[in-house]
Amino acid sequence: MSISKDVQVYVDDKWVGQETTNEHITVRKRDTIDFLKRLFRHKGAVIGSIIIVLFVLTAALAPWLTRYSYDAPDVNAILQSPRREHIFGTDEFGRDIFTRIAYGARISLQVAFIAVSFSLMIGTILGALAGYYGGTIDYIISAVTDIAWAFPTTLLAIAFIAALGTGLQNVIIAIALASWAGYCRVVRGQFLSLKQREFIEAARILGMSDARIIFRHILPNALTPVIVMATLELPKAIVIEASLSFLGLGAQPPQPSWGVILDSGKGLLDQAPWVSFFPGLMIMIVVLGFNLFGDALRDVLDPNNS
Amino acid sequence: MLKFIAKRLVLMVPVIILMTIIVFSIFYFAPGDPVSRIAGPNVTPEVYESIRQKYGLDQPFFVQYLRFVKSVLKGDLGISILQDRPVIEMIRERLPVTLQIGLLGFVITFIIAIPAGVAAAVKQNTIIDYLCMSGTLVGTAIPTFWLGMLLLYVFAYKLRWFPISGDGTIRQLFLPGLAIGLTNAAITARMVRSSMLDVLRQDYIRTARSKGLYEKVVIYRHALKNALIPVITIMGLRLGWIIGGSVALEIIFSIPGLGRLMVDSILSRDYPVVQGAMIILTSSIILANILADILYAIVDPRIRYS
Repeated sequence: MSISKDVQVYVDDKWVGQETTNEHITVRKRDTIDFLKRLFRHKGAVIGSIIIVLFVLTAALAPWLTRYSYDAPDVNAILQSPRREHIFGTDEFGRDIFTRIAYGARISLQVAFIAVSFSLMIGTILGALAGYYGGTIDYIISAVTDIAWAFPTTLLAIAFIAALGTGLQNVIIAIALASWAGYCRVVRGQFLSLKQREFIEAARILGMSDARIIFRHILPNALTPVIVMATLELPKAIVIEASLSFLGLGAQPPQPSWGVILDSGKGLLDQAPWVSFFPGLMIMIVVLGFNLFGDALRDVLDPNNS
Repeated sequence: MLKFIAKRLVLMVPVIILMTIIVFSIFYFAPGDPVSRIAGPNVTPEVYESIRQKYGLDQPFFVQYLRFVKSVLKGDLGISILQDRPVIEMIRERLPVTLQIGLLGFVITFIIAIPAGVAAAVKQNTIIDYLCMSGTLVGTAIPTFWLGMLLLYVFAYKLRWFPISGDGTIRQLFLPGLAIGLTNAAITARMVRSSMLDVLRQDYIRTARSKGLYEKVVIYRHALKNALIPVITIMGLRLGWIIGGSVALEIIFSIPGLGRLMVDSILSRDYPVVQGAMIILTSSIILANILADILYAIVDPRIRYS
C-alpha cells in the first residue's frame, strides 16, 4: 500500500532523489506506524475492524463454532424459537440458524473478496489505459464507464445474471462486471494528473516501455483512493450477493447464503420471524463494520476529502 | 437555456445507442442456443428453422441489432415467450406500481432527510447531531429488503395496520415505500447536513445574520435553499437505486410490479421480457439523470448554459 504522500521517484527499481535508499526505507516505515496510529485513534476504525475480524473469524472457524451441520435436517427441532441449544432458533427443516449463518459468512466473504478483486482489476486497467493514452481510447472507455457508473450496481448485476444464468459463480462475475466503473474513474483521474509529473517525463526520456511506466511508476502512486474505494465496495458486494440469492438468482438452497436463509424466512415471517431476523441483522452489522472502517481509512489517507 | 436543454438532450443520443448495444449484446452473447431457449431442447428441425426465422436469429449480429433498434423505436419490445403477448403491454401493466413505490419513497426521503440534515448541521456537535449521524450510519448499513421484512412483520402481521398482501392499493404500497424512504433518507440526510454546513460558513449567511434577521429566516430562507441544490442533482441519480431496491420489496410484499416481472422472467428464461424491462428501466434512468442536470441548471443561476 502506498501510504506516503510524496511521490517516490523510481527509475528502473532504483530510487533517484536526494535521499539515500536507506533513509527512504526508514521514512516509509515511520509513515506506516504513524498511519496506523492515526487510523486507530478513530473510534470508527476500531469498532469497524473488530467487527471485520469477528466476521472473518466466524467464516474461518465455522465448523468449530457449532456442533450442528448446516444442511442436515432434524425432524425433532423444526421451527424452534431461539433457546439455549439453538441460540438463533431453527428453520423449517430443523436446521440451526446460527450454524447456517456462520457457514454463510464463508459465502459472503468469498463472493465479496473475489468479486471486488476482479472489479478492481478491470477498473484499474481500463482507467490506466484511458488516463495514460488519452485520445480515442480515453473517449471510448470513458463513455462506457459513464454509462456503467450511472446504473445502480444491483440492477446491472441482475442484467448480467439474466444473461449468464443463476448461481454463485455467476453472481461473482455479475458483481465484478457491474461495479468496476468507480475504480476506472478514480484511476483515470490519477493517471491524468500523475503522467504530467517530471518523474514520468524522466522515465519516458530514459526510454522505458509504456507498460513499465504504467505498472511500475504511475500505478503504485495511484492506488490509495482505489484501496479506500475497495473497502467500501466490499459491503456493497455482500449486500448484492444476499439480495440476488434472496431473489433466487444467486446461491441455491440448501447453500447457507444469508440471502437464501432470508428467502426461506420470508414465508415464515408470521410463525418464525427469527429465521429472517438474524441473517438480516448479521448483514447489517457486517456492512456497518466495513463502512466505519472504510470511512475512517478515507479520512486518514485523504484528509482533504472528508 | 433552451439551447442548454437541447444540447443535453442531443448528448443523450450516443448514451442511449451505447446502452441498447450493451443490452442487446448481453442477450446475444449469452451462453446457450437461443432457439432452444425459446422452444426447449427437443424440437424437430422444421420447427427449429421456423423459430429461427420468426425471431430473426439466422441473421448476423449487426442485422439483428438494427432490427432490434428499429422495433424498439416503434415501441415494439418483442413478444413474451411464456405468455405469447407483447412485452410492452406487460410492462405497461406493471410499471405504474413500481413508479408509485418509488415516488412514495422519494417523498418519505425528503420528509425525513431535510429536517434531520438541517437539525444536525445547525446543532453541529451536539447530541442532536450525534443522534442523526448514528441514525444515518445504521440506515446506510441496513439492507432495504430486510427493513421491508421487519416493517411487514411489525406493522402488517403484529399490529395489523396494513394489509399483508393485496392488489396494489396505496395502503399496500406504503410499507415498501417507507422501507425505500428510510434507507434513502439516511444517505440524503448526510448530504443535506454537509451541504448545509458548507453554506452556513458562507459570507452571505454572516451578512444575513448581521442584518439582524431571525435565525429561522436565515436558515430556512437563505441557507436551506442553497444547500438543497446539490442534493437535488444527487436525488436524480438515486432513481435507479430506488428501482433496484424496489425489486426485492415487490417480492416481499407480493406486489405485481416491474421488478418482480423481471425476476420472474429471468427465472423462467423469458428473455424478450427481460430485455424489454431492461430497456425501459435504463432509458428512464438516463432520462432522470438528464432531468436532474437540467433542474440543477435552472435552480442554480451560477451554472452557465454553455
